[in-house]
Amino acid sequence: MISFVAFSLRRAWQGFWRNAVMSLAATATMIFMLLLLSGFFVLLTGLNAGLEFVEQKVEVVADVKDSAPTLAIEDLAGRVRAMPEVASVEYVNATEALQRFRERLKEQGREDLTTFLDKNPLPGSLLVKLRDPQVFGNVVDYLRADPAVERVKEVQNLVKRVLTVTELLRTGGLIVLALVGIVVLFIIVNTIRLAVVARAEEIEIMRLVGASDAFIRWPFIFEGALVGLIGALVTLALLALGSGPMGRVMTGFFDVLPLQLGTLGRDLGLLVLGTGVGLGVLGSWLSVRSYLLK
Amino acid sequence: MSLAPLRAVARSHTERPVGLAPTESPVEGAVLVLHDVTKTYPNGKVALREVDLVVPEGDFVFLVGPSGAGKSTLIKLLIRDELATQGTVILDGQDLARLARRQVPRMRRKIGIIFQDFKLLPTKTVWENVAFALEVTGTPRRKIAPAVDRVVALVGLSAQARQLPNQLSGGEQQRTAIARALVHDPRLIIADEPTGNLDPLISWEILQLLLRINELGVTVLMATHNAEIVTALRKRVVALEDGRVIRDEEAAAYHRED
Repeated sequence: MISFVAFSLRRAWQGFWRNAVMSLAATATMIFMLLLLSGFFVLLTGLNAGLEFVEQKVEVVADVKDSAPTLAIEDLAGRVRAMPEVASVEYVNATEALQRFRERLKEQGREDLTTFLDKNPLPGSLLVKLRDPQVFGNVVDYLRADPAVERVKEVQNLVKRVLTVTELLRTGGLIVLALVGIVVLFIIVNTIRLAVVARAEEIEIMRLVGASDAFIRWPFIFEGALVGLIGALVTLALLALGSGPMGRVMTGFFDVLPLQLGTLGRDLGLLVLGTGVGLGVLGSWLSVRSYLLK
Repeated sequence: MSLAPLRAVARSHTERPVGLAPTESPVEGAVLVLHDVTKTYPNGKVALREVDLVVPEGDFVFLVGPSGAGKSTLIKLLIRDELATQGTVILDGQDLARLARRQVPRMRRKIGIIFQDFKLLPTKTVWENVAFALEVTGTPRRKIAPAVDRVVALVGLSAQARQLPNQLSGGEQQRTAIARALVHDPRLIIADEPTGNLDPLISWEILQLLLRINELGVTVLMATHNAEIVTALRKRVVALEDGRVIRDEEAAAYHRED
């Protein structure tokens, strides 16, 4: 068994270099395709993070009556917090609401006119964030029914609009990624097939001298995996080199949004390695299969 | 080279009855038994019709006939590249139709096959080409070197062992192929037009090598168009025409001599 693996690995290595032009062509194709795939993946991750950020903005806002006692409001907040579809509840009392309003004006560089008011015009409110922005009906009904609530701001239209757009962008992104993936698969499989066809004579001789299918297949599969591995490593190296300058340009843009990009590097690494090796193996498997079917 | 003595011995040849029907069970001492074998290709072409053939251990058989008579198809059936449409092909006691796919490689190691175009790997030396047959069948490395050395010496190529095929003459290339065919200690050597690309003198060298291998006990089945060699050697001749065995004679000539 060990000698079989050693044999297959040795043959794969020899095969790769004996047909160096073909192998390097396959590897280069692999690199281009993986770069393309990575580009789309980064784009899609950025898009998703952006969309999540937008979705987080969706919240149910219930203004409370000025007359309602703090205790009743806090009690209501506790009950709403216990609802399964609710992610978090924040109580902003009237004073805080005014303060926030003032800060916002200051950020925008506009004159603060509220100082001319003799009394705070803003109501206190409960800000309810949902686990799933689509499921808000129960929460809205529940808040409306409570005596402490003055009114619940209509969020339905906003939610619908935001969700339609985000769903569309997500689906579109996934479709594009899938299409790119399929194109990559076809090109890689065909490139590896060419490399295998170039060795058809060798396969024929192996069959004639009584080599078992495993002995014929595995060296090619390891060779395909080698093409995938080298392709993936080169791609990751290129991405690492490119990420510095790219990152500087991108942070300027993305800093606006508090994106969760912490796992992007790891995910991308896994995606590139997995896709590269996977496609290499699959391509070899499909290419050799036709010679072994007799 | 004088062939007179060979011819003299061969005069008293006996005719083997065509259609000698072996039983379903392997015939005692036979390496190869074909019974009522018909091969029809998917396109409707009938390549072999009701072929009966028994090849005893140690036999030397010439398979002759015009192109398209079915020689290549017969060889494909023997190495189980194709399956018979009807009838049985039994090699070394095994019915090839009942052989599971994964058992085919092991069976093929009982056959050494030689082609007109040698089928050597151009990037490997003589020694490596022969060793390749053992490597790809999972032979432990320590057993490879002695086995390769032995057969390379047997075909007389020890001095050329480190050369690549394109540095060799046609005859040397064919001898490399024969060494590769022998390295598994096969029961049967199938030679498909082994002298087709070689000039007459070299052809005789190859034949002498095959005869010597035959003397060592290996059964040889050789498909050929070379009438001079067949007639001179007075071995058993099986003639195919239009997919049928039309003649099966011991110590015979290339053409019918009645």
